[in-house]
Amino acid sequence: MIVRILTENQYNLPGIHVDQLNEIDNKLVEVVEQRNQDGFERLLKSMLDLVREKGSPLPVNELVESDVVLPEPDISLEEASRLFTGEGLVPD
Amino acid sequence: MQARQALEINREDLARLALERKQTAIHELQGLDQQISDLEIEQEKLTHAEQRLQAKVEAFRTQKEVIKAQYSAAQAQVRISSALSGISEEMGDVSLAVERAENKTEALKAKAGAIDELVITGVLDDPGSNKSSLDQQLQQASVSAGVEAELAALRSGQDQKNNKALEEGKS
Repeated sequence: MIVRILTENQYNLPGIHVDQLNEIDNKLVEVVEQRNQDGFERLLKSMLDLVREKGSPLPVNELVESDVVLPEPDISLEEASRLFTGEGLVPD
Repeated sequence: MQARQALEINREDLARLALERKQTAIHELQGLDQQISDLEIEQEKLTHAEQRLQAKVEAFRTQKEVIKAQYSAAQAQVRISSALSGISEEMGDVSLAVERAENKTEALKAKAGAIDELVITGVLDDPGSNKSSLDQQLQQASVSAGVEAELAALRSGQDQKNNKALEEGKS
């Protein structure tokens, strides 16, 4: 699956990690709803780290649209509250 | 050092004020260091984004030629338009990065403006400016302490003279 981390890069994330990504995504929807700043920061970091660590950066000469676009690492809870609603970013 | 100078003339209030200002200045300095390194990271990110976009545009040009040469017109159109969505996503991302960097710079400018305000109102000392009002107060305090001391010396000298004259008058 092609995942973009905004302002960073596109990664090719092997399918076996998608469930875990989706799990973090759903938890993020919860903490954002609760306006839980600490939980939000922790989960956002673990979501982005998962993609950075398990995914491989897409070569520059590959021009493809991303399947999932994740927010920039420095997004605020306020900004995130407009993104993480319902199913989150990764469709269930 | 201002605080020591103030203590020497028994002005603990001024010493306290001097130390308070030192702490504020140290705090501001640390904040500025942090901001500088944040901006450097931001700059690096943008440079990286620019390079990536440039490489993508170059790749798009090359691929377009290859696709046109290898595929029928209809197939080529589909492939090129998919590459085009890839590159437009990339452009959108770069402009988001630029926008965020601009916002951060604006926030820093506002902060710098606030520090200027503090300097103007005298809460913070401007290292480049002339003497602060604290310096002036200290100077004033030590001047008046000096004046008092000299006056006292003069008075006691005068008294001695008077006493002498009195004694001489008596004899």
